[in-house]
Amino acid sequence: MDKLKLEILTPNGEIFNDEVISVTLPGEEGEFGVLPYHASLSTLLEAGVIDIEKKDKSIESILINWGVVQVDETKVIVLVEGAVAIRGDNESSIAGALEDAKKLINDIADSKGAIASVSARIESAAQRLL
Amino acid sequence: MANLKDIQRQIRSVTNTQKTTRAMKLVSTAKLRRAEELAKRSRLYAGKMNQVIAEIAGRIQCNKIGGIDNRCFVEIENPKMIDIIFVTADKGLCGGFNIQTIKAVKKLIKEYKSKNVKVRLRGIGKKGTEFFKYNEVEIFDSVVDLSSKPDKDRSDEFIKTSLEDYKDGKIDGLHIIYNGYKNMITQELHVDRILPVDTRGFNCENAEKSLLEIEAQDEEYMLDSLINRYIQYAMYYALIDSVAAEHASRMQAMDTATNNAQDMVKNLNIEFNKARQAAITTELIEIISGVESMK
Repeated sequence: MDKLKLEILTPNGEIFNDEVISVTLPGEEGEFGVLPYHASLSTLLEAGVIDIEKKDKSIESILINWGVVQVDETKVIVLVEGAVAIRGDNESSIAGALEDAKKLINDIADSKGAIASVSARIESAAQRLL
Repeated sequence: MANLKDIQRQIRSVTNTQKTTRAMKLVSTAKLRRAEELAKRSRLYAGKMNQVIAEIAGRIQCNKIGGIDNRCFVEIENPKMIDIIFVTADKGLCGGFNIQTIKAVKKLIKEYKSKNVKVRLRGIGKKGTEFFKYNEVEIFDSVVDLSSKPDKDRSDEFIKTSLEDYKDGKIDGLHIIYNGYKNMITQELHVDRILPVDTRGFNCENAEKSLLEIEAQDEEYMLDSLINRYIQYAMYYALIDSVAAEHASRMQAMDTATNNAQDMVKNLNIEFNKARQAAITTELIEIISGVESMK
């Protein structure tokens, strides 16, 4: 099966770089999914959650506060400003990530409406891992 | 011949200084490793960001009649006032690190003054700010504690004034001057013009070849949003790079200081031994001549 290369970069370094099956991004005009052989496009992302379907079919969620994405047929490059990956090997590290994520959400002051739905989504993503 | 006690005291004091400089070198080495790592990771982001901006700006430039009209990309012919932001360390003892930046700032100010352009100086870091205050050069505003601990939020806050003033037309240019990290032993002075963005690198051929679709939103809106982040990021990167360079420079300075101290101890030891021998000789002569006179 064809794979899509996904790179997520923050000013403090790379947060994700691997081949994935698909990725869902919070575009400014609405959420959209990308599969391999997607048409080239670039667009802005708003505060929200990036859902990544990894090679082993598990789903990883990454919270972002702003971003820009460049999609071409084989590759997706996401530049974000602040990002927190909801992942961890044990309960306490997941809880720690969740804590960081909540802090990031609170920093995003201008999109109050979105906050509730975004925090609900990261909660459920954390639940899935536990 | 110097007093034995005095020399001994001096040896002790130099040895203590050597201990301090050695410790400072070790601290800088550890900090440098972290700072260098951060700068390296950050560079990846910088590369991609430049690529995205160049691609979008290039498309607008080439496809739109009259070219790009975002103020951030237009060369301003007769600038009236420009901003210079300099980044220096908060602490000294790092060789020529701060003074190099200060010299570059002075040179740039002179250059603009000769063209009758007003300069608004904004400082980051205690050393540079103190220097210009002491020399009675007017500083518009300054922050401390930011260059030793780069922080994205505070850096965004600082650059915001310049960015907004530029967009409002209050200033016509923005330079960032900082001493960046090149490798362990050399620093590289950067005098970067951040605004207006240099558009010479944008290539129409590439823009036409690109299959890129811009999502429904307006390209220019996207560019505007990107440029803000780009400028903020340029500022942040300058800070990260500067802190890495600062530690490298301090490490080197402290290494030299430690070596110098070692040489000094060596010389003092020789002097001490000579003095000791001289004292013994004098004593012997005194005894012998005493015995002689008794005969």
